[in-house]
Amino acid sequence: MNYLIDIVLIALSAAVINNFVLYYFVGICPFIGVSKKVDMAFGMGCAVTFVICIAAFLSWSITTMVLIPGAPVSSFFAGFFLPAEAASKIDLTVLSYIVYIFAISSSVQFVEMYVRKFYPSLYNSFGVFLPLITTNCAILFACLTIMANVAGVENPQDAWDLGRSIVLALFGGIGFTIAIVIMSGIREEIELCDIPKPFQGAAITMIIGGILALAFMGFTGVDSGVRKAITPAPAEGTAAVMTLDHDHVHPWDARVIVKEMRLS
Amino acid sequence: MADQPTALERFVQGILPENPVYRQLLGMCPTLAVTNGMKPAMTMACSVAFVLLCANIVTSLIRGLLKPHLRIVVFTLTIATFVTIADRVLAAYLYQMSKTLGPYIPLIIVNCLIICRCEVCASKQNVFTAASDAVGQSIGFGLALASIAMVRELLGTGGLFGIAILPTAWPDWVIMVLPPGAFITLGLLLGCVNWLEMRRS
Amino acid sequence: MDDTTSEKRERFQNNNLLQAWLVLTLAFIFGISLAGVQAALGPKIEANKIKETMEKVPEVVLGLEAAQKLSESGEALNIQSRIIEVDKKDKKKFYTVYEARFQDNALAGWVAKAGGQGYADKIELLVGIDAQAENITGLFILDQKETPGLGNKISDTAWRNQFVDKPATSPLVVVKDKSQGPSNIDAISGATISSVAVCGIINQTVSDIGPTLTSTKKE
Repeated sequence: MNYLIDIVLIALSAAVINNFVLYYFVGICPFIGVSKKVDMAFGMGCAVTFVICIAAFLSWSITTMVLIPGAPVSSFFAGFFLPAEAASKIDLTVLSYIVYIFAISSSVQFVEMYVRKFYPSLYNSFGVFLPLITTNCAILFACLTIMANVAGVENPQDAWDLGRSIVLALFGGIGFTIAIVIMSGIREEIELCDIPKPFQGAAITMIIGGILALAFMGFTGVDSGVRKAITPAPAEGTAAVMTLDHDHVHPWDARVIVKEMRLS
Repeated sequence: MADQPTALERFVQGILPENPVYRQLLGMCPTLAVTNGMKPAMTMACSVAFVLLCANIVTSLIRGLLKPHLRIVVFTLTIATFVTIADRVLAAYLYQMSKTLGPYIPLIIVNCLIICRCEVCASKQNVFTAASDAVGQSIGFGLALASIAMVRELLGTGGLFGIAILPTAWPDWVIMVLPPGAFITLGLLLGCVNWLEMRRS
Repeated sequence: MDDTTSEKRERFQNNNLLQAWLVLTLAFIFGISLAGVQAALGPKIEANKIKETMEKVPEVVLGLEAAQKLSESGEALNIQSRIIEVDKKDKKKFYTVYEARFQDNALAGWVAKAGGQGYADKIELLVGIDAQAENITGLFILDQKETPGLGNKISDTAWRNQFVDKPATSPLVVVKDKSQGPSNIDAISGATISSVAVCGIINQTVSDIGPTLTSTKKE
């Protein structure tokens, strides 16, 4: 149950609350460059979502298997040269940026070749975007977020597993698609407007992006509400609080909830 | 090489006529993300300058050995290495700042500005020209970042570099230091630059 | 005919080798330089990470003034970190707890590092508990990304000072009407969720590690 809550919150957070484009500003280049037509924007979004998932899978595997101290592969190979104690402490995280960028470029290459060979029609519709994706910040950003949650946590128990990583990547990609499709829809309409000449093109796109970001800020805090709603706890009202299961909810947590409800 | 710009031309071009942010629209990700204060913006500008300078010099040194289909790999490898070095140095000597900048330092790797300069200038011209190009572009990038950060920090917190400048009666426009403020400030500044350009010509 | 084919092949091989050489040599050089950088700076970065929390421990345990007085007098607290494991129903939870002792080995207090979901992102904080495990001695926010101007006031000294000397044996309650009470914490106006989140993290932490601390104290 806890796992499910975690997954839902990660997905929600990546897709809308902390939207990759409008909150973290990654993937701005295609956001400005490829957002003139809705169908092109959607194609770009799909391509990014696809590649981001593959990159997330690769980066999670490489981080847990090779890079972090005590990872199986690195300690196995180091075991030939070093005593077991030292081998399990080998920390290769300094190489992570180089490894990720190569994982991303090679996965883009493979996806391109595969799609071109087996799904020519698909390739014709969004294959042109694939080479552009290598330098898309969103993908490296997803890898870095995963690394921070695998290697950067204090308790090994809190480290993300593969499921959480893929969910983050998938919904991050979906969030990117949402943002870029909304943007292209607005830009198609903007074409018909009389915009002052200096503001045509990138400038007006930026300002629209600002308004969109403002709108997406409205999602902030939704996750705490959702967490409260789906955590096994009293749904609402004081009656429910009285029947609190003290084994599940510590009375101290409950008091905060009760007090807050009375206030709202 | 006759038709290639000279070192001085490269240097001057980077600052205004071909400003990476306002004219070429390159490196937008850090431009928007770290300009909520002057301090992070300047740290970012310095890191980009370091990486760009080193990458340009290395690329220019090995330009004779580059093969067309392998050059992107070599560029990426070079850039990623110098970014890692910059990241480690920041973490060792400016720990709080490196925490504030977070993932945006490693994201320099995919900053189009650097790979574009390697491709356009450093892989074709000699080391001195490449270095002066890097310095010029870095100054241009730094100026662009500073202009955005100045507007955002001044309006958003009433100060610069964390020092209060506007009178305390100033109601802080919190929105300016939040994500929407970044988009709107950049949009307006971009429009202004275009407008000035149009008036001049 | 044979000559030209073998020549072509040779050229092709040479070509490939040369290409591979460049990338491999570069990778080798860069790898060595990175290893050098890591060897030189790695310990310093690790030290920074530890220092970040260690520096704050005296302030959180003793209060800012007392901590400054202590450091002026040239004394320092002996700080030892330990991990406290708490058995929850479905999973185990770990807390990093710093035990601060005076030079004469008298216990000054504990500082626990804790984290939880805030309004915008995770909040990481240090909460100090006195030697008797009865009162909260201080609060420090290590990391937060709450809304500037509203939620980020949780880092303000004025707001954090409310927590000093609040009982650690009963839960803190967030109030909006400034009403007085032994465990009342005044919410930041416009940022109730952030205030509740901080109090929630503290309540959770104190209730989780309290029993362990009380039992250590008796030893």
